[in-house]
Amino acid sequence: MGSLVSRRAVLGGSLALPLLARTGFAAAPIPLGAINPLTGAGGAYGPSMAKVAQALTARINGAGGVLGRPLALDVEDDQTNPTVGVEAAHKLIDVNKVVAIVGTWASSVTTAVAPLCWQSHTMLFCVSGADSITKLPHHGYIIRTQPNTYLQSGRAAQFLLQRQAERVFGLSAQTPFAVDSWNRLAQVLGQGGASGIGDIIYDPKQISFRSEIGKALARKPDTLFLNSYAPDLEILLRETYQAGFDGKRFTFAYAATNAVLKALPAGVTNGLFSFAPSPDLASPAYRAVQGILGVNDPDPYSCQIYDHVSLVALAIAKAGTASGVAIHDNVRKISQGAGEKVSDPVAGLRLLAAGKEINYEGASGPCDFTPSGDIVSCKFLFQVAENQRNKTLFIS
Amino acid sequence: MIASFLQALVNGTLAGAVLALPALGFNTVYAVLRFPNFAIASLATIGAFAGWIANVLWGWPAPAALVVAFVIAGAAGAATDALALRPLRPRGAIMAAIGSVALDLLLQNAVRFGFGNDPRGYNLPVFRDWQVAGIAIGPQEVEDAGLALVAMVALFLLLRFTRIGKTMRAVADNAALAESKGIDPARVAWIANSVGFGLAGIGGMLVALDTSLDPLTGFRVLLSIFAAAVVGGLGSIPGAVAGAFVVGIGEEFSTLFLAPTYRTAIGFLAILVVLSFRPRGLFGERAY
Repeated sequence: MGSLVSRRAVLGGSLALPLLARTGFAAAPIPLGAINPLTGAGGAYGPSMAKVAQALTARINGAGGVLGRPLALDVEDDQTNPTVGVEAAHKLIDVNKVVAIVGTWASSVTTAVAPLCWQSHTMLFCVSGADSITKLPHHGYIIRTQPNTYLQSGRAAQFLLQRQAERVFGLSAQTPFAVDSWNRLAQVLGQGGASGIGDIIYDPKQISFRSEIGKALARKPDTLFLNSYAPDLEILLRETYQAGFDGKRFTFAYAATNAVLKALPAGVTNGLFSFAPSPDLASPAYRAVQGILGVNDPDPYSCQIYDHVSLVALAIAKAGTASGVAIHDNVRKISQGAGEKVSDPVAGLRLLAAGKEINYEGASGPCDFTPSGDIVSCKFLFQVAENQRNKTLFIS
Repeated sequence: MIASFLQALVNGTLAGAVLALPALGFNTVYAVLRFPNFAIASLATIGAFAGWIANVLWGWPAPAALVVAFVIAGAAGAATDALALRPLRPRGAIMAAIGSVALDLLLQNAVRFGFGNDPRGYNLPVFRDWQVAGIAIGPQEVEDAGLALVAMVALFLLLRFTRIGKTMRAVADNAALAESKGIDPARVAWIANSVGFGLAGIGGMLVALDTSLDPLTGFRVLLSIFAAAVVGGLGSIPGAVAGAFVVGIGEEFSTLFLAPTYRTAIGFLAILVVLSFRPRGLFGERAY
């Protein structure tokens, strides 16, 4: 006679019991996964993203959970490495049986993880920027709170045109968005009367970029577009300074971290322009993220993962059932439309329980999504490095 | 074209000089213990962080900080070898090498736990390049190459003229014969690890001076270190130096003909070519 109860069910039940006892929930937890860059090139952001996701999950659980069930969040480190990210996704999907994965950061990781998600009907919420991600055949199982490369690079080019850039050369780390970024930037520069005079794609794991910089400066640019991550940006800033370049340098804010600025003398970094999608500074959700992290200027990715967890909880509540399909079918019903605007997921859950329609507007912005999963619009923060700190120029 | 050629030669030579130190350390350890210790990547990082503490927190100048990098990385290398790898060595070189990969990851994460992920910099000015007949030469890189040269000369003198060096060479040439003559292999292993990983620590700090200091500083040059050691001849001291220059200059020259994206493939290519046509490397296994 075969066993009536599988070993996995017994093990799963025994693991869940302490949680149920602790939280006072009678119903089984809703498994939720986060894949964050706790280490590697994105390591400056992953820990705070994980902290925000954990804090919001605890808050939702403290307020009664979703449909009377607690969220059980499992955070995995992808080491900013797609191979590790895929291993983490396999674990979350196959073992934890998560209904959604939130917070994938690097485009390479999101691209690698996405097929596992849509094949298993697991929703994937990412902060990655590569255009190619939402062009994947994901059947609606990807939601991206980060503006795509097309939106970002177009806005970046407009900023450079405002700053009278005429001859822009790109030095780009080898990423899934390197080519798309440069092509869009050069296109908008061309429309504005400037020109993208050339682009070199480099391996970011190198310890010197002297050859690449030599080739770039031979073209006499007045502006360098440094499409980098933090470790390679530090080397590029040092070596472009050493090479005698005194023109404008422009990069992404995720690379121009305060740690990078502090690692180099002010004379090397002063004048470095950077930009990032800006959170909604006036949003109560943004203030909630400030409170969780205990900082005045939380990074945009921590704001976005706050929205990811909120969207998951609200979509499940709207659907009345917890599954990837339910989130897929309901995420736009709670994030856009004519419903009551809410920025607090707990308040949104109460409204949904009362049968009301809601429109979630989060810490990162309006959270309105196109059919392909991209955000419709957002604001951008522009800043300049002064004395080893980033100083805000404007948000628009 | 000639200017580009000369510029690549200068860049490659300066890069090779810095790469030579951890490659020397790698081969010093291999010559005596006869297995590739991949923990050298994290031990180079540990040396770089030790030098950072001396330079930034204590205010010591770079040469003095390099001494701290040597001592701490050497001590950490000897201690971790004694604790983690010595029990594995009787089971063969493959087992010890696999153990060293695990040890490398452990040490890398220990550094991350202690210092975090953020990149750091040393308290040193950044100078503009000298322009010599149209060739750009970085003063910091020249100074780093000079410091690397001093360390290399010190190693050669140690091996050539001191009793410790002679015992190391004896074990490298024939461990069984050396033991029969009363040389304690455990003591020589301890010395080889201290010296080898101390050199890696200096190399790690020199790499970090030019690039950035974070828990992956040593890992980023691991392939180049291994390629230099294989090209020069695993276990060969002069081979490590020659291999480092071949890899350093080869990587730079590749950018004259290939997109820079493929530069790091030169390290793999060098390993493949050498293993195919001269498996013992340019200098064979002769330790000195």
